[in-house]
Amino acid sequence: MAGTKRRIKRLAMENNDAPSPERKLQCSDVSKCFQLLERILDGELVEEGKEMLQEKLDRCQPCFEHFHLEQAIREVLKTKCTKQPLPDKLAESIRQMIQDAR
Amino acid sequence: MSEVQRRKYSQEERSAVFDGEFMPHIDSMYNFAFRLTFDEDDAKDLVQDTYMKAFRFINSFEQGTNAKAWLFRILKNSFINDYRKKSKKPAMVDYQEVETFYNSDDVDYQSTSDLRAESVRDMLGDEISNALNGLAVDFRTVIILADLEGFTYEEMAKILDIPIGTVRSRLHRARHLLKDTLKSYAQSMGYGRDEEED
Repeated sequence: MAGTKRRIKRLAMENNDAPSPERKLQCSDVSKCFQLLERILDGELVEEGKEMLQEKLDRCQPCFEHFHLEQAIREVLKTKCTKQPLPDKLAESIRQMIQDAR
Repeated sequence: MSEVQRRKYSQEERSAVFDGEFMPHIDSMYNFAFRLTFDEDDAKDLVQDTYMKAFRFINSFEQGTNAKAWLFRILKNSFINDYRKKSKKPAMVDYQEVETFYNSDDVDYQSTSDLRAESVRDMLGDEISNALNGLAVDFRTVIILADLEGFTYEEMAKILDIPIGTVRSRLHRARHLLKDTLKSYAQSMGYGRDEEED
């Protein structure tokens, strides 16, 4: 799982350049494409995802932008919303409760 | 793996499973609990209750299976059964209601099309956190499970007792709602995309 996500990230980073003139500016099926891209980013669609992703990042500007936006959102969520500090004695009090329950 | 009647853990095995497989997830559990309840004391109680239940039902946990998903499922159920009822917070919408209300996969992509990756990366932790916290609990939950905790769709389906298709569509919609909020933050910070000439 994590390996796949890293690979996809690397793949995307290699493509993280300025808008390419070869990319089309309109996506013919935004809804389907965006949902697909999100599934790929979520680590689903592992094998079949790679080729489709490459194709879309190379050829379609809205898909390219959506992919990078989604990726940025996942990154900031992961780095900025997981640091809720654990109350001091919580782990200790749970261990104590379990001791008492034995 | 597939025995129906699993043997019971000995005293030592129970301690080993509890300390070795359950306790390491306490930070994630607390973060989840806090983002569900928005209250330190409630989150603490919820995590404690979850660990007590986990200990009490430890024989129904199979060693080597996903302890984190098992614990998250207990926590989510405890939240629904014990905490949600007494909460008066407007964000606490019923899971089913949300699904019927937003039963379509279609979202208005145009509304968030000018939100850019760079402006999202420039946002402060508080802004990201507030945007997440502002989502209705069902949408918040799928984002927490997928993006903060890295659960797969299949694991999320088990934790939430919903079909994988529902996980997928709920997540897609949750992400869209989150982007809507982020876009309004970006605009208020002056990060709006310059009008393109056409």
